[in-house]
Amino acid sequence: MEFNIHSIVFLIFSVITLGGGLGTVTSRNLIHGAVYLIVSLFGVAGLFILLSAPFLAAIQVLVYIGAIAILIIFAVMLTRSMTRMTEIYNRQWSLSLVVSALLFVLLLVGIILPVWGPGTANAALQPSELVATTVDLGVAFVDGNQFVLPFEVASLLLTAAMIGAIVIARDRD
Amino acid sequence: MENYPQLVPLIILIPALGAIINMLVGARLTERWSSLIATTASALSFVIAILLYSYLHASGYQAAIVNPPVLQDWILIESLNINIPWQLRVDTLSVTMMLVITGVGTLIHIYSAGYMHGDPRFSRFFVYLNLFLAFMLILVAGNNFLVLFVGWEGVGLCSWFLIGFWFDKSRGIGWKNANAARKAMIANRVGDFGMLIGIFLTFWTFSTLDFYRPGEIANPHAGEHGAAVEHVEAATVEGETAGEHGDEHGDEHAAGPVYTDNEHIPTEQLGVFGQAERMLALPEGDPGRTVALGPFRADIVAVLGLITFFFLIGVTGKSAQIPLFVWLPDAMAGPTPASALIHAATMVTAGVYLMVRSNVFYAAADLTSLLVTIIGVATALVAGFVALGQWDIKRVLAYSTVSQLGFMVAAVGIGAYGAAMFHLVTHAFFKALLFLGSGSVIHGVEHGHHETHHAAHGDGHAGEADEFDPQDMRNMGGLASRMPVTYITYLIGTLALAGIWPFAGFWSKDEILGDSWVAGLVNNELGGFIALAGLLLAAAFTAFYMWRQVELVFHGRPRTEAAAHAPESSLSMLIPLIVLAVFSVIGGFINLPGNAAIPTLGLDAVLGVHQFGSFLEHSVVNIHAADLQPLIAIVALGLAIGAILMARSIYGLNRGVTADRRDVLEANASFSRMWRLANARLYWDETYRRLFEQPFNRTSQFLADTLDWAFWHDYVHDTIIAKGFRAIGTLLSQPVDLGLIDGVVNGIGRLMRWASGGLREIQTGYVRTYAVSVLLGVVVVLIILLLPYIQRALASGN
Amino acid sequence: MQLPSLSELNLGLTVPALSLALWACILLVIDLFIPRDRKSVTAWLAAGGVVFAFIANLLVYRDPGVAFMGLFVADEFAGFLNIVVLLTAFIAILMSVDYLKRTGIERGEYYVLLLMTTSGIMFMNSANDLAVVFIALELLSIPLYVLAAFRAPEERSEEAGLKYFILGAFASAFFVFGAALIYGATGSSSLPVIVDAVGRALAGEGSSLLLLLMGSGLILAGLGFKVAVVPFHMWTPDVYEGAPTPVTAFMSVGAKVGGFAALLRILLVALPALTVAEGDAVAGWQTATWVVAALTLILGNIVAISQTNIKRLLAYSSIAHAGYVLMAVAAAGTPGVSDQATRAALIYLMAYMFTNLGAFAVAMAIEKDDGSGTSLDDFKGLGRSRPLLAAIMAVFMLSLTGIPLTAGFVGKWVVFQATIEAGLYTLAVIGVLTSVISAFYYVRVIVNMFLEDGEGDPAAAATPYVQWAIYLTFAGTLVLGIIPSLVTNLSGPVALAVASLVP
Repeated sequence: MEFNIHSIVFLIFSVITLGGGLGTVTSRNLIHGAVYLIVSLFGVAGLFILLSAPFLAAIQVLVYIGAIAILIIFAVMLTRSMTRMTEIYNRQWSLSLVVSALLFVLLLVGIILPVWGPGTANAALQPSELVATTVDLGVAFVDGNQFVLPFEVASLLLTAAMIGAIVIARDRD
Repeated sequence: MENYPQLVPLIILIPALGAIINMLVGARLTERWSSLIATTASALSFVIAILLYSYLHASGYQAAIVNPPVLQDWILIESLNINIPWQLRVDTLSVTMMLVITGVGTLIHIYSAGYMHGDPRFSRFFVYLNLFLAFMLILVAGNNFLVLFVGWEGVGLCSWFLIGFWFDKSRGIGWKNANAARKAMIANRVGDFGMLIGIFLTFWTFSTLDFYRPGEIANPHAGEHGAAVEHVEAATVEGETAGEHGDEHGDEHAAGPVYTDNEHIPTEQLGVFGQAERMLALPEGDPGRTVALGPFRADIVAVLGLITFFFLIGVTGKSAQIPLFVWLPDAMAGPTPASALIHAATMVTAGVYLMVRSNVFYAAADLTSLLVTIIGVATALVAGFVALGQWDIKRVLAYSTVSQLGFMVAAVGIGAYGAAMFHLVTHAFFKALLFLGSGSVIHGVEHGHHETHHAAHGDGHAGEADEFDPQDMRNMGGLASRMPVTYITYLIGTLALAGIWPFAGFWSKDEILGDSWVAGLVNNELGGFIALAGLLLAAAFTAFYMWRQVELVFHGRPRTEAAAHAPESSLSMLIPLIVLAVFSVIGGFINLPGNAAIPTLGLDAVLGVHQFGSFLEHSVVNIHAADLQPLIAIVALGLAIGAILMARSIYGLNRGVTADRRDVLEANASFSRMWRLANARLYWDETYRRLFEQPFNRTSQFLADTLDWAFWHDYVHDTIIAKGFRAIGTLLSQPVDLGLIDGVVNGIGRLMRWASGGLREIQTGYVRTYAVSVLLGVVVVLIILLLPYIQRALASGN
Repeated sequence: MQLPSLSELNLGLTVPALSLALWACILLVIDLFIPRDRKSVTAWLAAGGVVFAFIANLLVYRDPGVAFMGLFVADEFAGFLNIVVLLTAFIAILMSVDYLKRTGIERGEYYVLLLMTTSGIMFMNSANDLAVVFIALELLSIPLYVLAAFRAPEERSEEAGLKYFILGAFASAFFVFGAALIYGATGSSSLPVIVDAVGRALAGEGSSLLLLLMGSGLILAGLGFKVAVVPFHMWTPDVYEGAPTPVTAFMSVGAKVGGFAALLRILLVALPALTVAEGDAVAGWQTATWVVAALTLILGNIVAISQTNIKRLLAYSSIAHAGYVLMAVAAAGTPGVSDQATRAALIYLMAYMFTNLGAFAVAMAIEKDDGSGTSLDDFKGLGRSRPLLAAIMAVFMLSLTGIPLTAGFVGKWVVFQATIEAGLYTLAVIGVLTSVISAFYYVRVIVNMFLEDGEGDPAAAATPYVQWAIYLTFAGTLVLGIIPSLVTNLSGPVALAVASLVP
């Protein structure tokens, strides 16, 4: 593997992404977890830039870090009692370890097989096509011929989920 | 020197680096090192700003556009022709701002080292200061609106950090501080909304956000008109000196054609301002002048009116103008150095910078400009009036800042962009000076209080100590003898702010007044009249409340023990005061009016007649040099001196505060109502409460009591529904309820009941059992579905 | 690229569903202005939105068409089911007003969520694309999860919401997986496009047939969860018991309507020609639905016998009734019967809606503020203390059993007819037998009310709103039972519309 500036930057962003992810799942304080999540998402945005998808990166920052992460933090703050929860209630961590390991292997196989397995037709996908895909994706969401209705209904869905979360989490009086 | 513009990323990176270092290790460093790192970072930025200035000077004020080495493109979608690069711009306007920001910033860093001494979050404070510098420099250095917006948001964030810096103070003060920070954030969010819409509209109209593209000359006519000095070189091609092209610059200069205008560039390759000028130059009714907005097509003038209007919303937030100015006085909850740097000298002027940067837009948008003038003048008057009745030393200065920002905004409104920038620069000097001076005073009074307190009570902290407010001017008086350096520098700042000849404020304020004179009486514009009348009155207010402050704080006898024992501040706090005082004296000489020659002491390059104006001319198209209007200058000076004398006669000789701690004007029957109005801040905050909160409550009350209770419940529900129902109910129940059923079924299903009980056992209540059942169900369904398929496959296989 | 213009989208056809969703969002804001003790205003406003959607739906129903370039169909099928679901929502709102007040959970979000889930069901009724079906399914489900937990922090309610949520997400995953497999096999998510692709897939290689079969199985499972058929039913009693009673009532009808709408449309529009071997007469999914229907009928009816709580009893009864609807779905797998079977399913759903909502309304009138009083023993003596209420309840029970002159009979009649028409005799026999079994537990309620002596709390008062809900459903049950032609005529063109979509 060639070791150039690109790979160094890639390494840095990977470390940020993975480190953030690790922090997210390991921190006992939910707020800390949310902040780690932002760090991790930021790393992903960096990776998008490396993939010459700056628009995705910008959207990643705007939507995930700017909106969703803030939403998470708000939600965490709304459910104050949860932030004080530092004990692990579920004792079946060994079982979940096995399950997640299995899932991980499954995903790994799913990724490795099409790329390096026999008949790797997908490997020919060029970054330029990926950029075009971003545009297509955006258009598909607003195109009446394509997915504008699911896209709109999805917004309703998110609203409903938000209301629901607040209703459930709110302190009773 | 040609390559100096390449340094411009560093001017941002160095403070950012300082912030990072202090963030990571600051807590472990001593105060000395922590402040040294931050101050060095700031000072290095200042050095770079000077280098950039010298580049501009040597290159005939050519602007340079620089792409930072790593960050080239920011948002680039070639298929949709969206390209927003990370581009920085070195031109006379941005360098002016950089010099002010880094210069004043460095002094404030030095001052903070003394002021924040002993604070538990000492290094954190410097993190914020450095971070603020970095964002503010991004704001002024960006070559497109989006980069500007990054800085715009960033400084807002830092401002929020710093206002709420003491969020953990005891006795509810911390809560108040945090609320002040929140208020600032919310007011700014409202403004940012306008800003964003303006940016989107700009992009929609011009398909780019760049101010000027590389190779474009902002003002081809620079140096031709106005009484400007001779320039070192004629304006030549404004080459892109970025990155790898830097070396080629010289060759191109020698070999390529030398352009003195932009005629050779196609319109779509121009920046927003160039495009706007081209469109405006087209004859009325030309299709090229119109912009498609949904189903409508609007003339460029109308579109620019919209854009500038939305920018104005952003400006009212960031630069604290009516109606969003309410946050700035509360923002004084932050540490004083932060107030000086952010909420007086630099951040709040970002709005003025934005409007001057967009002068092409504003010059074309007459209606918005008039609105800008009205808002500026109204803000100057309202804030100036409110400042008359405040007790808090910083609050007076805060309202004064709002008022002076009103001057700048009004100047933009009447088209005096040069005057606005000039006042911005001088105001940065003397307002920073005044804030730092007030900090020194507060610091001194606090120490004096501690001293007397210790003397009286030994080491205990008694309850009465808690009520002492070191910022209340009623607790001061007679500090002139206790704090001589602070006094003299404060006096200089006051005179500069009041606009006394020959201090800096005189020249800049007079240029605004002179320009409004020209706009009103010569060009017969409505805005000019409004500005002239309103700003003259506001200037008189300024002189009056500043002198009131001087009298209450420094003159007379000390009114408390604390004031009597206040010590002079440390050297690190005094040096910035002295430096700023010097600038407050001579700052006005950078842009003398044409008919008031002053010896420039060999500093022709910096000082001199219209020097600043012709310097800015290279980046601000619609600038014009105003001559001194002797009449106006004399009237304004007379008003200022008169106001000072009046203030002295009212507040001088210990008469300022009555025995029951009231203002002498409040005690006076004929003035007390007016004073109280000012003291209550014109009920502005209360009005907001009334305008937004009470109607909200009243509407809900109406819906609840009248609509729901009186109408639905009492009338519809009780009268119509309930009565009607009862009537029907009686009718139905009589014949139906006569014992209809008589034994239908008798225990056929004992077997069923037994089976049922057995099956019921499966219903364990555990989610995992249920999930497994679903999973099994899926398997069953799949097997049923696939069985024929498998059978067929087997059959065909055999 | 050319984006379609607004007029091409035919937005007018989506007005019933979209207006309801929009109104829910507006109501959320309006609710802020409504003080705590006046939340009935919100209920009225919500009911107003439902009425508006109902009228809009009637108008659209007269002039069907396709909106959003084929993503959304406003045909008679959707129109009919919209009527059912809007009536359900209206009755649920009537049931909620006083219930919420006396149980101390009166909050405006309740109605907002109710409207949202209703709009989700309406989107499902009209969805003509797997993506829309999925999103609508989620819009149906998520507010229901929250509504089920609306009595939180009461433990049973919280448990209900959480169980429903976890298992619902589990089931949704199956649905998405199935949709993805079908997409993979046909290259489209649009139902009318899929039907062509199915034909090509059958003619070609066998691997896409495998995907199609698995996909349809997983979709059956995912939607089967929503409509609570065995073996995807186990959440039902726990959730029905724990959720606030009006929510249970709504859920027992609304979720089923949405689920069956999507199931019928996917199976009949996209996959009618999905056969295992070329030339097979019946659709490949018929056997699977057949088995599931049989299991559901048997298990639902038998387990219901041993229930002692009216809410749990109605929960199992609702499982059993889903089985009857599924009978019709299975029958629709036989070519030539599909329109008759579809009509049967729709009529059954409407009959079930009136009857079941009515039964829940009566159960709620008996229920005490603390959630107790739902035992079957609490019905003892009701015939004496509240004769009218008891009589009406008796009618509902008879209707659920399927006694003539009630709506339930009409529903069962058309379903059995379609099943026999399709040649599924065994299934028809199972259906008849199980409805005889069901008589046992339904009649026991009647026996308790009229023949047993008991403390039958005379204080149990149905408040005016609930009484209106009871009268409305009672009227519906009787009208549909006595003059079924009113509805069968209404649903006549419905099945034709479905049939016209089948190539």
